[in-house]
Amino acid sequence: MSSDESTEAGDAQREFVEQWRDPAYNCFSSGHKFCRNVCPVMQVTRNENHSPTAFHANIVAMEQGGLTVADVAEDYVHCTQCGACELRCPNTLMAGDFYRARTRTVDVVKAMRALAVESGLEQPNWKRWVEATVDRKNEPVLDVPVSQENVAKWAEGLGLEAGGETILFVDCEAAFYRTSLPRAVALILRAGGVEFGLMREQWCCGGPAAEMGYVAQSREFAEHNVADWRAIGARRIITLDPHDYITFTEDYPRYFGPAYEFEIVHITELVAELVRDGKLQLSKPIERVATYHDPCRLNKRKGIHQSPREILRAIPGLDFRDVDHVTQWAYCSGAGAGLSIERPELTRAISGQRLDRAAQLDVDLLVSACVWSERPLTEAGEHREPRIEVRDLMELVAESAGLEVTP
Amino acid sequence: MTERAISDAVYDELVGILGPDGVLTGKSARWNRTRVPAPFPVHRWHEHVPDVVVLPRTTEQVAEIVRLANRRKLPVVPRAAGTGLTDGATPLNGGILLDVKRMNEIREIDLLDRTVTVQPGLNMLKLNEVLQPHGVMFPDDPASYPCSMIGGRIGTSGWSLIGARYGHTRDLVCSLEVVLPTGEVVRIGEGGGRKVRKASTGFTLKPLFFGHEGTLGVVTEATLELVPRPQAEFAAFFGYRDYDTAWRSTGALARSGFATLAGVVLFDEWKLAYLRRDDEAYIEQPDWLKSVVAVAMYGNEAEVVPAAREIMRIGRESGGTYLGDEVSQGDWAARHDRYAIPLHGRLRSGEVVPMSWHCEDAALNYSVLPQVHEEWHAIADRYIERYGIFDDWGIFAYTNGAYKPWGDYLVEIDIGIWEQRLDDEGWAAWLNCKREITEVTLKYGGSISACHGASRAGDVDYVPQELGGAFDVMKKIKRTLDPNNVMNPGKYLLDQAYED
Ligand SMILES: Cc1cc2nc3c(=O)[nH]c(=O)nc-3n(C[C@H](O)[C@H](O)[C@H](O)COP(=O)(O)OP(=O)(O)OC[C@H]3O[C@@H](n4cnc5c(N)ncnc54)[C@H](O)[C@@H]3O)c2cc1C
Ligand code: SF4
Ligand code: SF4
Repeated sequence: MSSDESTEAGDAQREFVEQWRDPAYNCFSSGHKFCRNVCPVMQVTRNENHSPTAFHANIVAMEQGGLTVADVAEDYVHCTQCGACELRCPNTLMAGDFYRARTRTVDVVKAMRALAVESGLEQPNWKRWVEATVDRKNEPVLDVPVSQENVAKWAEGLGLEAGGETILFVDCEAAFYRTSLPRAVALILRAGGVEFGLMREQWCCGGPAAEMGYVAQSREFAEHNVADWRAIGARRIITLDPHDYITFTEDYPRYFGPAYEFEIVHITELVAELVRDGKLQLSKPIERVATYHDPCRLNKRKGIHQSPREILRAIPGLDFRDVDHVTQWAYCSGAGAGLSIERPELTRAISGQRLDRAAQLDVDLLVSACVWSERPLTEAGEHREPRIEVRDLMELVAESAGLEVTP
Repeated sequence: MTERAISDAVYDELVGILGPDGVLTGKSARWNRTRVPAPFPVHRWHEHVPDVVVLPRTTEQVAEIVRLANRRKLPVVPRAAGTGLTDGATPLNGGILLDVKRMNEIREIDLLDRTVTVQPGLNMLKLNEVLQPHGVMFPDDPASYPCSMIGGRIGTSGWSLIGARYGHTRDLVCSLEVVLPTGEVVRIGEGGGRKVRKASTGFTLKPLFFGHEGTLGVVTEATLELVPRPQAEFAAFFGYRDYDTAWRSTGALARSGFATLAGVVLFDEWKLAYLRRDDEAYIEQPDWLKSVVAVAMYGNEAEVVPAAREIMRIGRESGGTYLGDEVSQGDWAARHDRYAIPLHGRLRSGEVVPMSWHCEDAALNYSVLPQVHEEWHAIADRYIERYGIFDDWGIFAYTNGAYKPWGDYLVEIDIGIWEQRLDDEGWAAWLNCKREITEVTLKYGGSISACHGASRAGDVDYVPQELGGAFDVMKKIKRTLDPNNVMNPGKYLLDQAYED
């Protein structure tokens, strides 16, 4: 520690502790760990260092000179930034509104990861991943050719134009990998009479980089995207991916301040409205037994849990077996915040656990509304007997609206 | 990166038992397994850090770890959820911290003889989630229900909020498997039966392993009592203009003798003030309200519905005003989460500062509650006045009789402590405050602790006085079972057993 003290890293750590010490004490001085049983990572690792409590206590220990960022950096990999712990914490649940003191574990994790990167303590797989993203301007998705030429390839044959007031932002996973999803969304929007365009040059939203602690890179990507939005006169951005929704409603406003002028809409909210207003007819029955997976970033982080349920209930023929959104505080796919990149085995375990819960309802379909969750959930569903299929809510909507989504 | 605090030889042996994944030597792993929710002098955190953390999964692994420790005379400190409030799971002398969280399997659900057999790192909420479809539950229900674990419940001999109806932890464990301090694995129950609730073969050893705070071995499995999930629940909150009336009413309600009565709780004026600080969550109450009594019943509809009518009558006739369905049902449901909200902490000036919750819990007879109530608050008040770091969060009293709601009471005074500002002087003052509170308890014929244990600095000084000759028996047992003093050494002054 003493050799650190004169260095830049030491300064960064001191500044960090200064900033986070008091919020950390709000947890430290409770320390009851009510959060622990909803934490998806803790549920599978059973290691107290991976618990929200530890994430706060470490900061107090750093203040006491007991721990340094080098001692704790790796612990903070073990978080999907699902937000469950914040909601479950009595400090938020019982008194947060009153004292304006929401527990901020997600921000703490992001900040500690940023401090780690700043201190040269990088996680090998994140580092590789971020480098590839910087190189290609989009996330390296599996083995698919990720590049600017291909970023709108999913839209081939749909006759979509760049520009306009409303922009559909298609995240990397959907643009390069699960292309059936953005195609479904485009057809739905068109059928519902929503006019929209695409960006001229779309880079990764920068959210994942921010989640892994690469703040400078995240900002650079944000600046590019916002410049593109402004250049084409965009006012409203539609996101398919709950992660983008978080990035555009939480990270971007932090980067751009009051000058940030965009309305950000998540597709489930918009489609629920279209269905409610009769602008989109869901008439083709889907005879399946399904349950819904609340994506963490919609339900726990943003409180969006009604609109997807409203949509599912509007689909004829669907036997929808719900698990209420509060119970789902403890559910996660394990895909968020880079966990699947650095600790794929944990993501697999968490997804497996999610599918076990679905299986208890005797369903053959798990509907998600988060493209990031779909890869690990699908894999977990395929490995079960009987198999449980995983589909995106919008794919189901397109089908029920009689829209033919060609691959 | 971090230097290892144990020798390579010990490390290698532990890895041989558990694999590298089960042995944690990193600093953050060790620092984080020192903390329990009770306030401690943060500036002296480093004094309590274990040398190594182990995460076993099986009884055999635990036995091997304990044998290794016994051979090398290394301390072993069991830790379940780490929610204990008297530092039981905090290593006093370093050594091996044995974290049982990975021992969280449900081994057997026996619906015919109504038992469930589990590992010690399982939490009650999780267990009951699995049991729910079977129509049964494990009715140990502390306020730490969502976080504490079976091993710790046994280690502390915990208290269940619905214990007046179903019994407390000690009544709800039929038998347990223990790795003794020398590494032998034994099953302790009623006689030798695993699922038998009452036997008379041999000494009744079972109670010895309740409240031992990890000093007599490691619990590796427990067979637990199951009860039917209650068909009906009833909760009523009554309000009072003064503590005395509320106390009398508590007695009347508790003496009603209904088998379905799960709890009668008496909250005093300080406690109400604490809860009211968060008026978003605590439904607003009239100013005249100085005390509240909460009653809860669980059982079949045929029992609960008529009994509830009777309870309403007793509550009103003994001076209570029914506070309405919204408070009664809503607040009862939220009771687990109301503790330890640090933001409710206030300095004398009214300034909000994050304070830690310290809970001093005594077991007391009904007759002495008013006197103890008065004297405890007077003590707290002196310390609040003199040191700027304490706050009085009120007293509540909870009837405890397993199957007999006329039993005695868990009485708890909650004190907020501004832990960030604790230094040696503040800590010493705090321990003195605890000692004074404890003296009052003993003066009125009570016991220092109803459920948290008295293994913490301050209270622990009075254990020999409370137990008298029985403390010598404790020492003899400790020395016999643990010849090398490896199990959680330093707790309960049991090191004295080895002085001669
Ligand atoms: C908000 C809150 C509310 C609470 N409300 C209540 C309440 O209503 N009733 C109540 O009784 N308590 C309550 N407590 C205190 C605490 O939850 C209990 O003391 C609980 O029994 C501790 O369990 P744990 O799993 O956290 O054990 P720990 O704190 O990990 O351990 C407690 C003791 O048991 C020993 N131990 C743990 N596991 C084993 C094992 N496998 N074998 C041998 N020894 C072991 C430890 O060494 C230690 O001495 C509350 C705590 C909090 C934070
Ligand atoms: S995050 Fe909240 S629930 Fe978890 S330990 Fe901290 S204060 Fe308690
Ligand atoms: S945000 Fe989610 S994964 Fe991260 S600590 Fe909280 S509950 Fe765990």
